[in-house]
Amino acid sequence: MRVTLSDIYKSFGAIEVVKGLDLEIQDGEFLVLLGPSGCGKTTALRMVAGLESVSSGRVLIGDRDVTHVLPKYRDVAMVFQSYALYPHMTVAENIAYPLKLRGVPRTERDASVRGAAVKVHLEEFLDRYPRQLSGGQRQRIALARAMVRRPSVFLMDEPLSNLDAKLRGHMRSELKRLQADLGVTTIYVTHDQIEAMTLAHRVAIMNRGVVQQIATPRQIYDDPANLFVAGFIGSPPMNFLQGELVEGTFVCAEGRFATSVAESRKKVTAGLRPEDCRVTGPSEGKIAARVYAVELIGDHTLITCQFGGATVTVKADKSAHYDMDEPIGITFQDSAVFLFDSETGGRIGGRARGEAAA
Amino acid sequence: MSAEPRSLARRLFEPASIDSQAPVARIVTYALLFLWTLVVVIPLYWVFITSFKGPGEVDNGPFYLPFVDFAPSLQAWDFMLVQNYTLRPYTNSVVVAVASTLLAVLIGSLAAYALVRIRFQVKLAAVAIFLILLTAIIVAVATFGVQWEIAVAVAAALFIIALFTLVGRTRLAVGNNDIEFWIISNRIMPPIVAVLPIYVMFQQMRLLDTQLALIVTYTAINLPIVVWLTRDFFAGIPLDLEESAQIDGASKFRVFFTIALPLVRSGLVATFLLVLILAWNEYLLALFLSNADAQTMPVLVSAQNTTRGPQWWNMSVLITVMIAPVIVISSILQKHIARGLLVGAVKG
Repeated sequence: MRVTLSDIYKSFGAIEVVKGLDLEIQDGEFLVLLGPSGCGKTTALRMVAGLESVSSGRVLIGDRDVTHVLPKYRDVAMVFQSYALYPHMTVAENIAYPLKLRGVPRTERDASVRGAAVKVHLEEFLDRYPRQLSGGQRQRIALARAMVRRPSVFLMDEPLSNLDAKLRGHMRSELKRLQADLGVTTIYVTHDQIEAMTLAHRVAIMNRGVVQQIATPRQIYDDPANLFVAGFIGSPPMNFLQGELVEGTFVCAEGRFATSVAESRKKVTAGLRPEDCRVTGPSEGKIAARVYAVELIGDHTLITCQFGGATVTVKADKSAHYDMDEPIGITFQDSAVFLFDSETGGRIGGRARGEAAA
Repeated sequence: MSAEPRSLARRLFEPASIDSQAPVARIVTYALLFLWTLVVVIPLYWVFITSFKGPGEVDNGPFYLPFVDFAPSLQAWDFMLVQNYTLRPYTNSVVVAVASTLLAVLIGSLAAYALVRIRFQVKLAAVAIFLILLTAIIVAVATFGVQWEIAVAVAAALFIIALFTLVGRTRLAVGNNDIEFWIISNRIMPPIVAVLPIYVMFQQMRLLDTQLALIVTYTAINLPIVVWLTRDFFAGIPLDLEESAQIDGASKFRVFFTIALPLVRSGLVATFLLVLILAWNEYLLALFLSNADAQTMPVLVSAQNTTRGPQWWNMSVLITVMIAPVIVISSILQKHIARGLLVGAVKG
């Protein structure tokens, strides 16, 4: 079912949490709302669920206006970060609860519960209580309970954040597979960019109650709309340098290098992804710097370099070895440089890289 | 390497390891526990053996051991339970205590839940106008002989007009905390203050000396305790659970009865028992509101203090049969009481 949010505002007292949210989620789409804590993403999700009223704007599920409809009539299912399992009910009773409330007859209910339990590999645990199960199993109960009544929309509020890292990776792939199999429209809230990149058909990045960019994970990464998106996505994060643009050449206090944008402007921020940079000999690079620290991560090495007052992190091969304070050069392609207006944060020169990838 | 030597004082006053108790501390602990056990058990024992005594054994006593220093008799038991009709006040006590406790716990927990989960904002002006109009009705009816139907109708109309005109412009409001405090403050007032008005009220309603009057009164006076105790249990339930149930299709009442209530069961059982005991033991109101038909056990016990002096043996029989069910119920519900009031609410 399609979900449409149009011009949604939400205030708690004098604090405006969501400011003019417009989102259109297609039938069967997996949309991730991504942003730092306090950006309004959870509030947005809760407004779709009906747990929060909107201050102004409209929420549509399919063609139905549900702006002022109680949660139970919206035909949505939600998975909470805490899983929100009922501790006094067995796994089977937990999964059956939504059906019971809808007056589904017992035999039909039992069959549906079993079906949902099989999908999440919990059929052996139906008679246990949630407290007797592990975090990952509890998470799966919550998923089974959400899908047992085949809702029009899944809403997920950081469903994987309470799991340990290994389990999280595993559940991520299960979740992706499950959503693809069921084909149910899903809105997923997270602050974890890996979850967003891996799960989403499209990602909506929010900051301070405003959507910064809505695009596929690849577009978001290759063609960030502004400084916030560029800095939020990517690990290690994008390097930023402050300076100005003189006829296509970026000039800062520490040096200068060519870009692919032939413009002149003051107050420009240049962005470079660590993996787009390479370390070369001191005289060969576009920037001359010295090594500040070298960190071996495993499959690669992070080299933090200093030049003047600025710091640039370079992602290098795992065999890379440099001494501290060793003079080096950093090189990159002209087209790897992202340029932003330092004041508005807006992107300068909508870029070839993103188009080429699309 | 041998253990570090310790002086005698250290060995006596300090524990040998972090998870044990010092010898002196252990002796003091058990001595105090033993003393307290005596304080609790001896009166119970005394009441129990006194019920097998007659006037002679009580007056010439003290006698401590039945069959040893006095010959027990069933005379008092026979007198109270067979010759006199004690069953009736006993039934009254059971009916009144159980019914009023059930009502108080049901209404009180609903109120507590609402106070925790729903935000109330009642304009202070509305409350003030309501009270002023209420006073006006009483004055009009009592002093000026206005028909009460007319007075109420006029006051209701005035109140509605005021709600739509004046009240909207004021800012001061009464919130959840104020309502809660008001409910609890009802219990701060000593009951004797309200006894006469309550008596007159039931007299006017021709309900004096009925179980109903006692049930209603006990429910009212125990409500604040239930609200006060249960609100924290409900506040301890994670909101996620209730929101999840609401999305799954439950109404507020359904959430209350299928999610909230079962989760606070232990706390609720403890509250139930506490209120039950308060109602079971209540004396003052029962003394005023009942005399023959609805008389309860505490009143009957005190009635054994006759013109011929206190009939200790009869009193002891009554007290024994009064204490017995409380001991039984408490033992059955012990595990709930132990964790109930302290831990109260949810365990994941």
